[in-house]
Amino acid sequence: MNDLRYSYYPGCSLHASAGEYDLSTRELFAALGIGFEEIPDWICCGATPAHNVDELLSLSLSAKNLELARQVSGDMAVACASCFSRLKFTQHILGENETKRQLVEKAIDGPVHLEQRVKHLLEILARDLGLDRLTQAVKKPLGTLKVACYYGCLLTRPTDVPNLDCTEAPTIMEKVIEAAGAQTVAWSHRLECCGANFTLSRPGVVLQLSHAILDSAKAAGADCIMVACPLCHGNLDIRQQEIEGVYATQYGLPVFYITQLLGLALGLSVEQLGLDALIVNPLPLLTERGLL
Amino acid sequence: MLLSQETMDLAMVRKVEALSGTSVRRCFQCGKCSAGCPMATFMEHPPNRVVRLLQLGQWQRILAGRSIWYCASCETCSTRCPNQVHLASIMDALRKLSWDQEGPSKESYVQLANRLFLQNIRTYGRQYEMRLAAVFNVKSGQFLKDLMLGPKLISKGKLKMFHQKNKNIGEVEKIFSRIEEMRRKGEAL
Repeated sequence: MNDLRYSYYPGCSLHASAGEYDLSTRELFAALGIGFEEIPDWICCGATPAHNVDELLSLSLSAKNLELARQVSGDMAVACASCFSRLKFTQHILGENETKRQLVEKAIDGPVHLEQRVKHLLEILARDLGLDRLTQAVKKPLGTLKVACYYGCLLTRPTDVPNLDCTEAPTIMEKVIEAAGAQTVAWSHRLECCGANFTLSRPGVVLQLSHAILDSAKAAGADCIMVACPLCHGNLDIRQQEIEGVYATQYGLPVFYITQLLGLALGLSVEQLGLDALIVNPLPLLTERGLL
Repeated sequence: MLLSQETMDLAMVRKVEALSGTSVRRCFQCGKCSAGCPMATFMEHPPNRVVRLLQLGQWQRILAGRSIWYCASCETCSTRCPNQVHLASIMDALRKLSWDQEGPSKESYVQLANRLFLQNIRTYGRQYEMRLAAVFNVKSGQFLKDLMLGPKLISKGKLKMFHQKNKNIGEVEKIFSRIEEMRRKGEAL
């Protein structure tokens, strides 16, 4: 046990298309003895569409979530890279711009809580819990697995906002999964955009950008890709078969959430981690590597 | 077109700077933003040219085009700019200006997706992916788009039939209506 506890903001995707990210996060944190309670009645952060056309609305939605988070004690734990980015952007912009802060306070009819600490799951695992304690909890090291860690856009960029890791050469994902014994590969596309929410409006964009990412991971000799964002996951996993068809190629690369691979190393089951919800079936790979 | 004081539009530049909280005028056209932009290949004006057109008062050409709607908000340009121009925020500001003129851009699909996304927040408090995809297909006339994905996602429990329910949905509506009210009174852009 430890004294860590957090107010959990899952975000919309984790309650729908990324249910296995939510499930594996809860199971992993329970296994690590980290206190974790979901914020009651959290609302959508507005994601990319809101800030794209209406910054004031975007800032107000996130400011409301910062207020709602105060119902539960502890720092805010955020799983989705986009929600994480919006919350951090909101604190950054409203901390610097007095005019915008006044408008947002009027919109939510209350103060903006700039002091509420917002953390991505990766920070909690790597820094709050710490890599040593993570390693100590490992029951089944992932030594036979070569993992391509995919950061995407919003975990690290821009320079002065998320402050999670270096923008051009981050290492936090590699460190976390290496702490569970896995091997990581060096590859070119770990920070490139997957096409994000164009998956709805212009899926052709996603096919082209995600194709390049899958190609790069495969060329680097990875067995699988690890992500920490439900949108990246949707594009690389759900659309993988379609990409293979359009580009006449074959990847067969399972795409795991970070919490699923760590959970596996902690000895959690296929059901506990929602591994059966992945579109590219990871079970043959995991069986072959003796991890099930 | 020859450039002169008359062709520039400093009022527009100031408006974009106020909305975006960053400088349009600091850009010296090094092109680093366009070099790293994953979406430049889909744009008629790459990111550095969007800023240049804005500096030269040619903003109607930007608002009428597709480039701003093909920005993925990946933040690569803002991260790499050597002169601290937050270009991703400038893109947000330009999209808002285009949006406020009831979408003069030719790019209707991205705008439709954004509109439905925001409507869902106002109605349900959280995103309702099933409705988002279904209404998008109907309104964009692409009835068969991603049809093959549907059954696969449902069988994996990834496409929920029903929306999530928030008890504080009234407070969400108030945020939207207060912002509309502030705009009516001219207190906010």
